[in-house]
Amino acid sequence: MNPQADAVRVSRLVKKYGNTIAVENLSLTVRAGTMFGFLGPNGSGKSTTIGCLTGLLDPTAGQVEILGSRFTSESADLKRRMGVMPETLGLFDPLYAHEFLAFVGRMFGLEEATVRRRVTELLEALELTDSGKTLGEYSTGMRKRVAFAAAVIHAPEVLFLDEPFESIDPAGVALMKQWLRRFTEQGRTVFITSHVLETVERLCHEVAIITKPGKLVWQGDITVLGQEGAIEFDDKRFTALEPLFLHLTGERYADLNWL
Amino acid sequence: MNRQLIAELIRLRYKLMWARTRSRNGKIALFMAGYLLLVLLMALMGAGGLGAGIAAVRQGKAEQVAQIVLGGLYVEAIIVPLMLGFGMNAVFSDFELRRYPLSGLDRRLARHSIGLLDPFWFLFLVMELGLVVGLYALGGGFFWLGLAGVLLLTVSNYLMARVAGLAIDRLVRKKAGTSILLAVVLLLAFVPGLAAPALHKHPEAAAAVLQVLAYTPPFGAAAMATHGGMAAAGGLLVIVCWTIGLVAALVALEKRPPALQAVQKGGIRWETRYERLASLFGPHNAPLVAYWMRFCLRNSRFRTLYLLALPLGAFLTFQLGVRGRGGIGLFAAALGTFPWVTFLGTSRIAVNQYGYTGGAFRRFFLLPSDPAASLRAGSYVSVFFGALLLPVGAALWCIFAPRPFDIRRLIMLLGMGFAGLFALHAAGLWATVFGPRKGNYNASFGNDMSAMGNVVVIGGVLIFMLLPVALKELAPAGLDPQNWWWPLGAALAALGAYRFSLRAVSAVFSGRRERLMAIVEGRQS
Repeated sequence: MNPQADAVRVSRLVKKYGNTIAVENLSLTVRAGTMFGFLGPNGSGKSTTIGCLTGLLDPTAGQVEILGSRFTSESADLKRRMGVMPETLGLFDPLYAHEFLAFVGRMFGLEEATVRRRVTELLEALELTDSGKTLGEYSTGMRKRVAFAAAVIHAPEVLFLDEPFESIDPAGVALMKQWLRRFTEQGRTVFITSHVLETVERLCHEVAIITKPGKLVWQGDITVLGQEGAIEFDDKRFTALEPLFLHLTGERYADLNWL
Repeated sequence: MNRQLIAELIRLRYKLMWARTRSRNGKIALFMAGYLLLVLLMALMGAGGLGAGIAAVRQGKAEQVAQIVLGGLYVEAIIVPLMLGFGMNAVFSDFELRRYPLSGLDRRLARHSIGLLDPFWFLFLVMELGLVVGLYALGGGFFWLGLAGVLLLTVSNYLMARVAGLAIDRLVRKKAGTSILLAVVLLLAFVPGLAAPALHKHPEAAAAVLQVLAYTPPFGAAAMATHGGMAAAGGLLVIVCWTIGLVAALVALEKRPPALQAVQKGGIRWETRYERLASLFGPHNAPLVAYWMRFCLRNSRFRTLYLLALPLGAFLTFQLGVRGRGGIGLFAAALGTFPWVTFLGTSRIAVNQYGYTGGAFRRFFLLPSDPAASLRAGSYVSVFFGALLLPVGAALWCIFAPRPFDIRRLIMLLGMGFAGLFALHAAGLWATVFGPRKGNYNASFGNDMSAMGNVVVIGGVLIFMLLPVALKELAPAGLDPQNWWWPLGAALAALGAYRFSLRAVSAVFSGRRERLMAIVEGRQS
């Protein structure tokens, strides 16, 4: 894959639920081979945007291109090149972890021998060794690990991760970060949403910040922050992502005297 | 006891019911439900209990008729919740109630008060009340004693249904449990029918059985409704003792939940029997079919209903066919039961395929395949499991069929079996997409189907049950083996309807996915 090409291109994306606008004229591009952070406050439309980018939701208007081709919910060939960890994880609770991962692998067209090898390796690496428990009996963190494994089992070219690190212990997060870094080094792309700004700052090359209702307010390179540099915006200097995020989305303070 | 909080929770249950009526569809459903309930109550009061009460006094057998009516209703009020889930909805689980400042006793009282206040139990109470009013109006009974009797009977009936439900749930979780349950159900289905002629021949044995039955709640309530003095006190004592015993059993069962499977650490055990079976449906469908097979077979409610479907069909065939003056003949009755037996076991999932998947529903749209493939695969699995019951039903027919054996009748039964299988699964596809409802995969009981799902399941069963009755009255030639071909025609027509539904529903599935997603994830009702 050409690392200079755009892995994801969104043009004037609109998503409405009745009269409610969830995403308003969102346009952005994600270069191939980058780790892209997609940030915004609760209810700003991040998951709705990811839903439109992955075929879960139909956009009301606008266009989505993935890996240079027009993407719709029917684009099975493109879906084969994508990995998604949705907000609700999308796990089949009655199955065991290995059964679920094998199901996903088979659906993505992997050979049976490859399925078994990758499932075994993923489960061991992610320490999901309670083979007597169904997914419904797993803890939240373990479920997240399984959903992550399902997103990467077919080694996709573009990976969409909706809040991947929440509820996972530090060792698990470190392992996932290591995998994601190697993923982008190979020219693959990661599109990630998270509320943990420190992690995004350390992990991502580029960031887009949206506010309600799904409006892009800033997009740019944040690698300078890791080199003790700063981002200049609105005549202000930001040396970390958090103050920039709060400046763009609005700081709030409410004093409840009984609390 | 925290009465205030318990009352608040009961109010909340009705507020939640009321909240569902805020939408336009909800208002229509409320109107229809209210209207039907009113008509049903009048019919039950009039034709049901009241009519029986009047007939009982006129025949001079008030207590005997009261025993039969109350006994019949008592058994029905246990079978219906177990099979269809009515009257078992406690709304809140013990786990959910733990977040409120309630003691264990309060939580239990709140859950069961809510369960007992389900409209289902009111229907049975109204029928029983009709009997009491009928007996009292013609001077054959005591109103206040009868009222107290049927109120206590309803409580004991609810407790009995709950205890039976919990016991079955526990049983089907064990390895040999399903076989034991099947044996018990077969015993309960066939023994009364086989024992009846023997008891008729030996009245002394019948008297002994009646003596034992006198110590059951319906007989106790019958004594209270028809006698005063010591006989009524004896009846009251019987019901109270049963109620205490059932409460103790319920508490014991609830306090000791079924043990979870032991967690095995170590290597993965690749089990491929589902994949082997699923490969019959082609390589494209195989992974999805294997998933749906696991989904169904790991569901305790599916396993229970699937096992109960055939014995229940056999029981009803026998009851409708040969018992009483209104018997329509064994073959005609079987013609009515074969079609729905293939559907009852799989019905919950067939009419609401995604209702038990929750957030996992999204996964089907992330896979590199036509999302409707999952819908079709789920339906194939349901049809496959339903069809597996047909050879068993046919074998049972060959054993119990009236002699001389006529192969054409077997062909007709199988034809009707396939007709019901395809027709009801076709309707199930539409209900899955247009009438979904969020359900609890782990709940063993409770009716969590949508209104459309209930119409398909209950309506489907009733239509096929009434079909032979209608044929006997309107077109008796339809039951004649000489006309053996028409059920095959019906099966072909149903297959056509199923194939059409598969295509038509698949075409609209993707367009409906956002609404389905909101419902099965619990964001909309």
